[in-house]
Amino acid sequence: MSIVTVQLGQCGNQIGFEVFDALLSDSHSSQGLCCKRENEAYQASCKERFFSEEENGVPIARAVLVDMEPKVINQTLSKAAQSGRWKYGQHACFCQKQGSGNNWAYGYSVHGPRHEESIMNLIRKEVEKCDSLSGFFIIMSMAGGTGSGIGAFVTQNLQDQYSNSLKMNQIIWPYGTGEVIVQNYNSILTLSHLYRSSDALLVHENDAVHKICAKLMNIKQISFSDINQVLAHQLGSVFQPTYSAESSFHYRRNPLGDLMEHLVPHPEFKMLSIRNVPHMSENSLAYSTFTWAGLLKHLRQMLISNAKMEEGIDWHVRPPLSGPPSLGKMSLNKDLHFNTSIANLVILRGKDVQSADVEGFKDPALYTSWLEPVNAFNVWKTQRAFSKYEKSAVLVSNSQFLVKPLDMIVGKAWNMFASKAYIHQYTKFGIEEEDFLDSFTSLEQVVASYCNL
Amino acid sequence: MRRRRVNPAAGARAGAGALPEAIAALSRSLPSGPSPEIFRRAKFDRPEATSALWQLLFRVLSPLPAGNALASIALEVQARLVKSALCSQGYPRLALAQLPEDGSQGSRELLLALSWLLARGPVPEQMLAQTRVPLGDEMTVCQCEALASLGPPAPHMEAEGPVDVRHVQWLMGKLRFRWRQLVSSQQEQCALLSKIHLYTRGCHSDQNLGHLSVTEAEMLRDPEGGQKVSGGAAHNLDLAYPKGLYFSCTPGMGPRTFWNDLWLVPRLLPGDWAAPLDPGGASACSLLSPLRVLLRTLEHESRRLEAVLAWRRSEPVFWQWMDTVLGTCAPEAPAAASQPTFLPWVPECGDGELELVVRELQTLEEELQEAVERRRVAWEAKARGCGRGPEWSAARQAFRETVEKELGALQQCWEQDSGPAPAHGPHRLVRREDGAAGDQDLRAAELIRTLRSQEACLEAVLRQLQGQCRQELARLAGALPGLIWIPPPGR
Repeated sequence: MSIVTVQLGQCGNQIGFEVFDALLSDSHSSQGLCCKRENEAYQASCKERFFSEEENGVPIARAVLVDMEPKVINQTLSKAAQSGRWKYGQHACFCQKQGSGNNWAYGYSVHGPRHEESIMNLIRKEVEKCDSLSGFFIIMSMAGGTGSGIGAFVTQNLQDQYSNSLKMNQIIWPYGTGEVIVQNYNSILTLSHLYRSSDALLVHENDAVHKICAKLMNIKQISFSDINQVLAHQLGSVFQPTYSAESSFHYRRNPLGDLMEHLVPHPEFKMLSIRNVPHMSENSLAYSTFTWAGLLKHLRQMLISNAKMEEGIDWHVRPPLSGPPSLGKMSLNKDLHFNTSIANLVILRGKDVQSADVEGFKDPALYTSWLEPVNAFNVWKTQRAFSKYEKSAVLVSNSQFLVKPLDMIVGKAWNMFASKAYIHQYTKFGIEEEDFLDSFTSLEQVVASYCNL
Repeated sequence: MRRRRVNPAAGARAGAGALPEAIAALSRSLPSGPSPEIFRRAKFDRPEATSALWQLLFRVLSPLPAGNALASIALEVQARLVKSALCSQGYPRLALAQLPEDGSQGSRELLLALSWLLARGPVPEQMLAQTRVPLGDEMTVCQCEALASLGPPAPHMEAEGPVDVRHVQWLMGKLRFRWRQLVSSQQEQCALLSKIHLYTRGCHSDQNLGHLSVTEAEMLRDPEGGQKVSGGAAHNLDLAYPKGLYFSCTPGMGPRTFWNDLWLVPRLLPGDWAAPLDPGGASACSLLSPLRVLLRTLEHESRRLEAVLAWRRSEPVFWQWMDTVLGTCAPEAPAAASQPTFLPWVPECGDGELELVVRELQTLEEELQEAVERRRVAWEAKARGCGRGPEWSAARQAFRETVEKELGALQQCWEQDSGPAPAHGPHRLVRREDGAAGDQDLRAAELIRTLRSQEACLEAVLRQLQGQCRQELARLAGALPGLIWIPPPGR
């Protein structure tokens, strides 16, 4: 089943390009460590999901590009065409001549309705090209003006028009010390709107990815392109074909659906984050070997201690001892920053993957009390290696990872709101104080739900 | 039991050999029908005929064909299910309910039960319709619920203590996702069906149909079954070809798939026709090419159909004979109204134990009655005549009238736009040019319009009820001072 990607704003378009590039170059990689037939099946599955075919055989990404300025879209289109291996559809993009000045309200209330028909038409054309639609993957930033406001509007429209299709929003969490003054306002408005209309929010924090680039990849001058490539690597290792549980002869037909069913069926808990091991520069890769035991141990500790990457993991954090929960225990957890999970999905790719032992993730102490590990934890194993990594493991987790960042953003936004700073920019375009209050309420509710696990 | 009227002239026409022919036709027209010899033995209440008749009755009364699953059910279970099914259909004779379930006696009673069923409805035709293999792509348009299967009851789930509501919400969310995936799959199937119908226009020999169905297209594409269904790479590389083929050719009819039916049929048929090809029998059918299997299936269906026609022609002779069977039975005592016609199965236990149990039950009954009395007095004191008295009955009358009005409005809303109700059962999907549909044909556009108007009516009622709920909740929340009401996210 196919996934239609909607790339919104500068952020969404740049990331989207890297994602498609990563997916296709991995599927063409010769270091898959599997037989030819297997490789062909992998390629076919990847292609069906993300690309459509045209006459001369060059795959066309199943994507719709939206931005209010032409610059980034043109760059993206030409980069894709230059690669020669794939491209975007000729008429798959929508752009205007002016930007929206980082104004969420302008994006949501003005740009959105004004261009609703054109954008939805483009999406509909892309959907019609699919034999079967698994769902939508919407890439956007949370804090900017175009991506976030229009993104919220488009997601709502998709909810109305394609209520049976799944929607996953890939959100970029801004830098803590970001340049946009009103980024916190934009963030809370985006999040609260998306919580209502989207099925899953897959969050990437700029700060975390930046650190990965600096520490693990040893990049001196980190550009957005580096960050986006790390992101694309993580997303690729989630969305490339995996075996279905029933038989290890077929690749899973509906990864989006299976992922959502395992991780986000509860309407209050929709925030997902990704952790992956190993991650390093290509030069180091050639000289490294890994064992599954080592990788999984690191991944588990990253989950428990809320680490963003392999380096600097706090090994002191341990899962709580079993027994009836008490007030004392709760505060102990908070002190040691133990991360309680609701549900986890681990995807393993590479050599000897059947021998990988994931028992460590099935410990009931890792999970909240109302969900058994047998329901809360799933593992997908695939022989075929991903992107030159002989063994790679990625964790998609619905847990308390994002409680602190969310709390911080809500707190900062509230402080600004209390002094009514910059509100007029929003009320000018129809976002009233009521809407702000609604957003605060629903996000506080989300934080409270996650804290009470 | 009422005697069926038979046409004496028809009986006079039939000669001596007509009866065996009639019974043979009947047995051929029923699935796994017993031989005529069984019928003859049953007339004389011979024990060896009993188990075959239990199995036949079970086959007739269980609504869904389940292939192997049916064969594996024990005879006692089958017998019990037959008894309860007959009882629920109103079978009048008590003697059947009292038959032992091990198949040791009662073949005459079973024969009478069978003929009762045959007299009530077109049983052979119904059985034929159930096991029919559809050549075309079909869909049901009526709103009938599928009959509940007669299988063994599901294990009872015990709730261990209080359940966290979040867990329930989690499960509900999973159900919703599955539901949405189901809808997407059905949409995919429809899109693919449409493509096949479009691409094979003009290929069908029957001008009326004009295009191939999925089954027919698959037969043409791959008559020898060279492409195996379960091969990994072959399957994946073939992604462009109708994937719907592997799931179902009948949207809305769930578990019945063309391939399932094909693999099932050899197991239901007598082994003889599979033998000439391969002495291995039914298990070797997986090696037969799909085309040949389809051919055999159709031939088998034709034979059954001919048998049904023969049965209908020679039916009067059978009924004359059944009259004689009924005559050999002892006249039945009139049924006492208070006695249950079907006794529940009680496990055997020793006499002493039984008395103990009886005494315990009696004391329990007394205790319960006391408790009930106390409760009733307390409730009446609390309710203080509420539930009785003129205001209550007036209120109740008002409620009843409102509900009836609402239902009537809903009914009217439904019947407004729809024409005559569409026929039950599956319909074949045929793609035609605009305006080329015949008079007997159901137009998809009309059906869609009907369904949409029904949907709109139901949605209006839903919104109204939701509004009422919201008002009620707001009223309750407003009644408690200092309570802030935060609605959940989403609609």
